Amino acid sequence: MLKRSRERAASELFAAVYPRLAGWCRRLVDDDETAHEIASEAFTRLWARWTKVAEPRGFLYVTAANLVRDHWRKLERERRAVRRATTEEAIRPPTEQTDPSVRLLVQSLPERLRVPILLHYYADMPIREVSVLTGRKEGTIKADLHAARELLRAHLRRSLDHTL
Amino acid sequence: MTTHFDEEDEGREPDFALDDPLTVILRPSSAEYLGPPPGRYESIRRGAHRRRLLRAAAGAGATCAVLVLAALPFRLAHHDAPVTPTVPLAPPPASSSPAPTTPPATQAPTPSADPSRTSAPTTEPSRIPTASASASASAASTARSVAPSAVPTRTR
Repeated sequence: MLKRSRERAASELFAAVYPRLAGWCRRLVDDDETAHEIASEAFTRLWARWTKVAEPRGFLYVTAANLVRDHWRKLERERRAVRRATTEEAIRPPTEQTDPSVRLLVQSLPERLRVPILLHYYADMPIREVSVLTGRKEGTIKADLHAARELLRAHLRRSLDHTL
Repeated sequence: MTTHFDEEDEGREPDFALDDPLTVILRPSSAEYLGPPPGRYESIRRGAHRRRLLRAAAGAGATCAVLVLAALPFRLAHHDAPVTPTVPLAPPPASSSPAPTTPPATQAPTPSADPSRTSAPTTEPSRIPTASASASASAASTARSVAPSAVPTRTR
């Protein structure tokens, strides 16, 4: 009985969150397959410790963000290796199909600010829940969100100025 | 420095201006949904189940290893402890029965116990008993018994 209800909850969560999570990952990585892999890995990690996770949505987004960062690091290592192997200077880096603005969010923010942004804006968690999940006071979460937005704004402005 | 919160109403997100670039980041449109490929849910569930089993097995193994490591010193200490000396058996008292009455020598091969010798060639049957290892008392006694009988024959 318990197993069936848990299975149903898992199925509902998957139907509700997976498309959005995978879509979010798609903005950060180069292709659909990698986005699916990352979203699937996040769900696998969630269900491997299903009973221990208090807030599955938050867990999924934070896990996916960490996986995306790992993916970027791996790509960067590969690119560096290719650059070392082929001493050609004019080698063009692979075309970036990721959304630079979202990438900025995950890349530029320190973890202390990134997690509240992910939980609040992408996992749809109210500030109260974010506060419970992160173990910080609500006021601290609000301050973190504000600081994160300001930082992002500044980064965006800088990148826009750079492109103009 | 005071921090300005632009979200105070029940934990809801603030209203961004449409031209605010943050809107692009923080409000992903529904068009960016990526539906799961067929069979993805089942494969994820299977993978999670496998991972859970692996973790449980690893946990059990680690627990067993820790228990063994914890128990090993006790066990080794138990084995290394000096063995309590056993009290040697006291020699038999002098007044008790004498030494074994039947020495092994008496149980040495007797002529009768060796069937091959009894069935030996019968060329010199009379010499065999005297030439053989006549350590047995019975053989000696028979030899002695024969000797007196020979003496009178000579006297006659």
